[in-house]
Amino acid sequence: MAARSEEWALAELYDRYGRSAYALALRVLRDQALAEDAVQEAFLTVWRTASRFVPERGKASTWILTLVHRRAVDAVRHEQRRRGESLERAAEPSVEGVEEDAWLRLQRERVQEALRRLPDAQREALELAYYGGLSQSELAERLGQPLGTIKSRMFGGLSRLRELLGEPGTEVSWTSTT
Amino acid sequence: MDLHDLTAAYALDALDPDEAEAYERHLSRCDECRDQLAGLSEAAGALAFGTVAPVPPPRLRAVILDAAAAERTNVVPLLRRRWVARGLGIAAAAAACVVVGFVVAGMQSSHTRDFTVVVGPNGKATLSIRGLATAPHGKTYEAWVITAGAAPRPAGLFSGGASSTVHLRGTVPQKAVVAVTVERAGGARAPTTSPIFSTPT
Repeated sequence: MAARSEEWALAELYDRYGRSAYALALRVLRDQALAEDAVQEAFLTVWRTASRFVPERGKASTWILTLVHRRAVDAVRHEQRRRGESLERAAEPSVEGVEEDAWLRLQRERVQEALRRLPDAQREALELAYYGGLSQSELAERLGQPLGTIKSRMFGGLSRLRELLGEPGTEVSWTSTT
Repeated sequence: MDLHDLTAAYALDALDPDEAEAYERHLSRCDECRDQLAGLSEAAGALAFGTVAPVPPPRLRAVILDAAAAERTNVVPLLRRRWVARGLGIAAAAAACVVVGFVVAGMQSSHTRDFTVVVGPNGKATLSIRGLATAPHGKTYEAWVITAGAAPRPAGLFSGGASSTVHLRGTVPQKAVVAVTVERAGGARAPTTSPIFSTPT
């Protein structure tokens, strides 16, 4: 019955990251059913490909959220093609009515603060790409900028974001393996 | 297309599929891009936490765990997985699963037992039980698959405890009943006691 402990580990993993995963999927997809599908697919991919489950913070969260993000982006592009129009996206949903976990709130404030400190053009490129699911060519078209400009905004934005998030004084780290 | 330029877009999942594929091929040969990607991916991954986190619907947890448990019983993983991994395949596979789940109040105590039988598209089934007391010394739990007009078929032994997952032997045809009885250690060829649990017909 080796699978039993793995099932517990999957449950543990879901209990830790299910909420962040769902939040991310919902932000990109704006649709509960599609978001649930994306989360489910991501966790099942973990289940199929993990040779062993170690529900540790750092690596597992990065892996899961990367999978969720890819699924969500694929789904949003697929949905757009199906509808033949672009979905109105990328606005930050309201905090009202959402009971937040203290740790998640801290993470959110930290990331949002770092985003605020980016030049507008860089922040816009990151938000439209990451939360909006736009590809770099869609971004170029939408913003009426050459592809090269978009690429350098994304690169500059991510590099700067990394520096800002790595600054001391923000000691809460999601990469620590507890 | 200069592939070195695509690192940030790749980290943000902002490449079209063919570009992403080309970049991944490039990545296997370019140490510089691999290093750069590690840093940029970290920053991109942090964006996941930059949004408000509503609580997912409670059923999502059960849906995921049941689907995962059911998949382990699928014996033809390679082809199936490839098919399943494509886009909506997973939703379709999940829909093809018959999930019979219900809660039975414990007889001897106030503990609630939770029995779930998940039958995969290929008839392979997993029985998950929570809250079932460990079988008494010298006894075991035995699962049965009962098809109309045939003798109950032994489908696996388990010892109970906080949580048990039993991959049932053989397949569970449509309309078959899955039942559990207490038997002497080593199991019986036919049930000798009344089922402590059986799925509805």
